[in-house]
Amino acid sequence: MAPHRIALLFNANKVYDRQVIAGIGHYLNSTRVEWDLFMEEDFRSRMRDIHQFRGDGVIADFDDPEAPEALRDLHIPVVAVGGSYHDPAAYPAGVPYIATDNPRLVRLAYDHLIEQGLSRFAFYGIPPHPGSRWAQEREHAFRAIVDEESVEGLVYEGSPTSAGGWGAAVEELVTWLAELPKPIGIIAVTDARARQLLQACVMGGFAVPEQIAIVGIDNDPMAQLLTRIPLTSVIQGAEEMGRTAAHLLHQMLRGIDCSSTRVLVPPVGINVQVSSRYQPMRSPHVMRASHYIRQYGCLGIKTEQVADYVGVSRTVLEEHFKRELKQTVHQVILKHKLDTACDLIANTDTPLADVALRCGFTSLQYMYAVFRREYDCTPRQYLDLHRKTAAT
Amino acid sequence: MPVSNATAWGHFPDGRPLHRWTLRNARDTQIDVSDLGGTLLSWQTPDRHGRRGEVLLGHADASQYIDSNAYMGAIVGRWANRIRGGRFRLDGIDYKVDRNDGGNHLHGGHDGFHLHRWDVEPEGDDLVLRLVSPEGDGGFPGEVDVELRMRLEDDGTLDLRYEARTNAPTPLSLTAHPYFNLNDRRPDIRDHLIRIDADEFLAIDAGAIPTGREPVAGSAFDFREPAPIGARLHWPDPQLRLVGGFDHCYVPHATADDSLRVVAVVTEPSSGRRLTVETDRPGLQFYSGQKLTGQPGRHGESYGPFAGFALETQAFPDQVNGPDAEAAILRPGTVWRQHTRYRVDTL
Repeated sequence: MAPHRIALLFNANKVYDRQVIAGIGHYLNSTRVEWDLFMEEDFRSRMRDIHQFRGDGVIADFDDPEAPEALRDLHIPVVAVGGSYHDPAAYPAGVPYIATDNPRLVRLAYDHLIEQGLSRFAFYGIPPHPGSRWAQEREHAFRAIVDEESVEGLVYEGSPTSAGGWGAAVEELVTWLAELPKPIGIIAVTDARARQLLQACVMGGFAVPEQIAIVGIDNDPMAQLLTRIPLTSVIQGAEEMGRTAAHLLHQMLRGIDCSSTRVLVPPVGINVQVSSRYQPMRSPHVMRASHYIRQYGCLGIKTEQVADYVGVSRTVLEEHFKRELKQTVHQVILKHKLDTACDLIANTDTPLADVALRCGFTSLQYMYAVFRREYDCTPRQYLDLHRKTAAT
Repeated sequence: MPVSNATAWGHFPDGRPLHRWTLRNARDTQIDVSDLGGTLLSWQTPDRHGRRGEVLLGHADASQYIDSNAYMGAIVGRWANRIRGGRFRLDGIDYKVDRNDGGNHLHGGHDGFHLHRWDVEPEGDDLVLRLVSPEGDGGFPGEVDVELRMRLEDDGTLDLRYEARTNAPTPLSLTAHPYFNLNDRRPDIRDHLIRIDADEFLAIDAGAIPTGREPVAGSAFDFREPAPIGARLHWPDPQLRLVGGFDHCYVPHATADDSLRVVAVVTEPSSGRRLTVETDRPGLQFYSGQKLTGQPGRHGESYGPFAGFALETQAFPDQVNGPDAEAAILRPGTVWRQHTRYRVDTL
């Protein structure tokens, strides 16, 4: 039997479409199903010509607004691939539909920003256009999340990208960014849009991620190449979409009715990079540890005891300290001891040997060594400079 | 780290006390284990942000575990999974064991290992659990001595080494039955991505008894590349419709010397947590948790379908009635061993 002739109608200029096609390829390889695949030579689909196709089946990008009309009278199995819709009526009737789950993509980006400690959010979308209804769906998903969680969510659609209007568009974007309350986390509808944000942040002098944390969608290597600050991005389940589409077409070619099958594919992950690594000033771990050190720092405590008190491992606590205070737990304890010692020396007439003891230094000599290292003077010199009470 | 001492944890209806022990490691992970069924009660471990959270489903107290039919976190035996009609023939003798799942035997019967009180003692870093399963337990022949050593390693691995001996030939297949949900903020595992290193699985009939090996290629069962559990549930596949999801035994790649190999890896994109399962067992049951609806949770909540998933390392279901029956029989004078490792870490 001659292999089935299958048309793949995708504009494979984006990483998403290429991954869908890769997923179709993986399915075919895993099953040894032989399909005679038709794709345009330049990997761009020409929907208008498809009625001339003499083949057995089609997998098509239904984000292309021409697809439903162009494929309607083909009378061969068609599997649709595209974005999910919040309104069930928006899906094409009678065609199996494999969707990237837009609300889950946005949710993953949002949850990530929440985990980074942000409490203000915005969304940078695209003005409505028939070819990018998925962008409106992502914007809708963002509005639904912030509504549900009762947080403020600002949305900016900007201008369509055009060579002529680029300068003005970036200026408008900078103006929008300037007006945003900060710090803020922005979800960009695609990596291409996220790249524009990063550029506007550079132009406007906004620190990424300290003032503006950015998450894109697509994990597009090209967007990464064109940004100086590595971009955090949600990875769509595009390969799985391709596998699923191929499986459904395979079933339909065997005569199985899949016309009402709809599969929503969630994201496979998030590639966390610098653009979103915002850290609030205080993690609860560091706050609890600091509280403990303020109380017991002069009793000879060690990092281990602080970690025990906080209830995390030493390693985890060190990571948090390094990230937030750029210091080790030991350095913070030592700083507390030194501060206390300075206070005692300056404001009481405690003998230096007792100061050492009361501040948890193991010996007077050790306190001398630490003072020399940290203040470039001895405790005696410090005393001579700072003691306010009458000398004994 | 050394295992904690026992603390009181409820009691049987007849008053016998039950206990709980805690295993800890240096990386903020802590696992609670009960002598009731050797049950894994809780597994708390950091997510990608270092925030510690629960990755196991669990009930609220001992009485819920005793009343439950979910085998929540328990060590299951004497026969993990099903035996067709609760019948098998061994050395020319026909045996009838408990039929507690339709007309079939499941997970040791009415009073399986999951409802026994194990003798538990810490030995340094190990928690050692011992059980004597009496002659006739669930209808099975022979008295079986089981020893299970649990250890929590610093990389987040729960290492499980089982040994068993018998005084008469008996089928034996033990498994741990934890239900995982790697994202403690969402009571649904359908966005988890699972990879199972198996080219074949066992197709089943309506009673969930295997009918034969099938290649996974080209089907919803192909998890050789990671795929989201929930999306696969929508593939049009009669095997999925039979049991409302995945409740099938995979045949992971065998090793020449029956040594440990990775059989499954599950990741959860939001928390960044990852579960890796290694075992020397021939079979891996993947259950997507579709029938967890209504099971009581730890904090008074009620679980919904797909609240957790189970990966059970074991012999093949109904193996005692198939051509490989002898491989599932423990005989006097030999020692049955199993080695399984569950590791939870972050991406």
